[in-house]
Amino acid sequence: MNLTFNNQLLRKSQSLIALFLLCLLIALLSDKFLTTSNLWNVLRQISVNVCIAVGMTLVVLMAGIDLSVGSVLAFSGAICAGLIKFGFAFESLDLFVGFTVLGGILGAMLVGLLLGLFNGWVITRFVVPPFVATLAMLTIARGLTMLYTKGIPISNLGPGLEFIGSGWLLGIPVPVWISLIVVLVFVFISRKTAFGRYIYAIGGNEKAAFLSGININRIKLAVYGLAGMLAAIGGVLVTARLNSAQPNAGMTYELDAIAAVVIGGTSLSGGVGSVTGTVIGAAIIGVLNNGLVLLNVSPFWQQVAKGVVILLAVIIDKMNRKEA
Amino acid sequence: MINGLTVPVTFNILSNMKKSILYLIILLGLAACSSGGSGSEETKKVAVVISTLNNPWFVVLAESAAENARELGYEAKIFDSQNNPATESDNFENLIASGFDAILFNPTDADGSIVNIMKAKAAEVPVFCMDREVNADDAATSQILSDNYSGCVEIGIEFVKALDGRGKYVELLGLVGDNNTWARSGGFHSVVDEFPGLEMVAQQSADFDRNRAMEVMETILQAQPDIDAVFCGNDAMAMGAYQALQGAGKADAVKVFGFDGAADVIEKIGEGKIVATGMQYPKVMARTAAEYAHEYFNGRREFPQRVPVEVELVDAGNVDQYQE
Repeated sequence: MNLTFNNQLLRKSQSLIALFLLCLLIALLSDKFLTTSNLWNVLRQISVNVCIAVGMTLVVLMAGIDLSVGSVLAFSGAICAGLIKFGFAFESLDLFVGFTVLGGILGAMLVGLLLGLFNGWVITRFVVPPFVATLAMLTIARGLTMLYTKGIPISNLGPGLEFIGSGWLLGIPVPVWISLIVVLVFVFISRKTAFGRYIYAIGGNEKAAFLSGININRIKLAVYGLAGMLAAIGGVLVTARLNSAQPNAGMTYELDAIAAVVIGGTSLSGGVGSVTGTVIGAAIIGVLNNGLVLLNVSPFWQQVAKGVVILLAVIIDKMNRKEA
Repeated sequence: MINGLTVPVTFNILSNMKKSILYLIILLGLAACSSGGSGSEETKKVAVVISTLNNPWFVVLAESAAENARELGYEAKIFDSQNNPATESDNFENLIASGFDAILFNPTDADGSIVNIMKAKAAEVPVFCMDREVNADDAATSQILSDNYSGCVEIGIEFVKALDGRGKYVELLGLVGDNNTWARSGGFHSVVDEFPGLEMVAQQSADFDRNRAMEVMETILQAQPDIDAVFCGNDAMAMGAYQALQGAGKADAVKVFGFDGAADVIEKIGEGKIVATGMQYPKVMARTAAEYAHEYFNGRREFPQRVPVEVELVDAGNVDQYQE
């Protein structure tokens, strides 16, 4: 018991140590890194990936994957912008509904939730592998975004939404507040609730979880729904940040989210990992992106560097698990 | 034209007799089929094959090409190659097989797309390139091209004038694997590098993406707070860079330059917030290509291989001509 506890502690702290070393290295190479304005930039820039990656963590903990989050982000962001700017018209009823900023955000979250639930429904009802089901959603949601926006950005969405993207509250940028709340809520859910324990149980051994009476399909449905909703929150943040919904927003964001999850020590085979680990993983990616630009490293090398970091993280993780 | 077709075929026969004869038979069969299938009475079908629809600029190009073809009395259909020469190849095979009579083509790759055009040529389907060129003179029937390089030479001249030949600047590149990125960067540097007083303090990629440009610019401003200007490889990045400068309170001190002629950048030039952009004419290119296809159907066979469509510099002096 004591031994496993120590191992867990080591596993948890190892990504934290990696983050610390990376920060140290960049701080030694650039005196601009450890300034408050730069650190706020890093935190604000990772807030979108944190939201998506928290959802991805729950999915991966069940040994699933969600490739659709980048497209769901784009579609919900566009819905948020469209509802705020144009409202929604029920033509058959000759009824027009205008939306406040909050209404637009809730609408976007609902859309994200529905797309996520659809993923979950396809995966559980038709036993389609999550990789395939969410790959299909990746192109469906991107297509829906194109249909809704006609391929053209929706811009100038007013000061309310702009505040959410660029404003400050009690000395902290609003997007950082939002991602902080998301993290706290999901740390609580994953650690302290029965729902959270069921997620780990399904990822650890699906058959055993089923035999012990867990309604696996319902849990899966809920987790994919939540992942979609969190992607939608990311979509609101990106849209608010630019005060504009871009039809090509969120391209390859699913890969950054998966990278954050994996670097944070969550096993792709499920059952092992944590939301806090993912936050550290997202921070490592964010600091790396920031440092490479601060040091004006060539864009070609940046891609190589990011790949090498992901590889190192996974290899160290594997070696650790063998020792344990 | 006839010479152009027979030369490669004879060459093939010499190089590999059996295979080429087979190829010739298939080719003749196909040609017979396609000319038999598309009888003069039926409406001709025009395919618009576009490199990507995930970018508003290309959506405009694709849709105006299709609209122009429809206005001339043809059926038109848009195919999306998703920035992938392999998808493009599938698109070509499918549309040749389903009897399209002409292709208005926006290639994914200057070299990789040549083989696709050759397939269409073998099936006697004329191909008219729009915006992006392919590195071959005997493949497409005609190429109607936006001159990215010269356009950015103009921007470079304006850049040097605006800065009086002295100062520190940042360049935001587009996707590093895209030839437009390097044509634009090359045109710009061909002028700016002649002035030793102009120092490029950072050159980073922001993938033609507004959000990415904002993030990269925020980080660059940490390392290089005293810059005088930013040159961006497209207008989406110019908007993102401008927003980052605005957030840092430096929007008035730093001169921003873009490329494309997007509506939001034109608006900012009108307000005096962005200095200049290069106006490209996707609608002109699309119309010219559609008209060429129309003339081809009416018997014209001689077309200029390259038709340059000029990129016009838009700055405070002439912006009123471009505002709606």
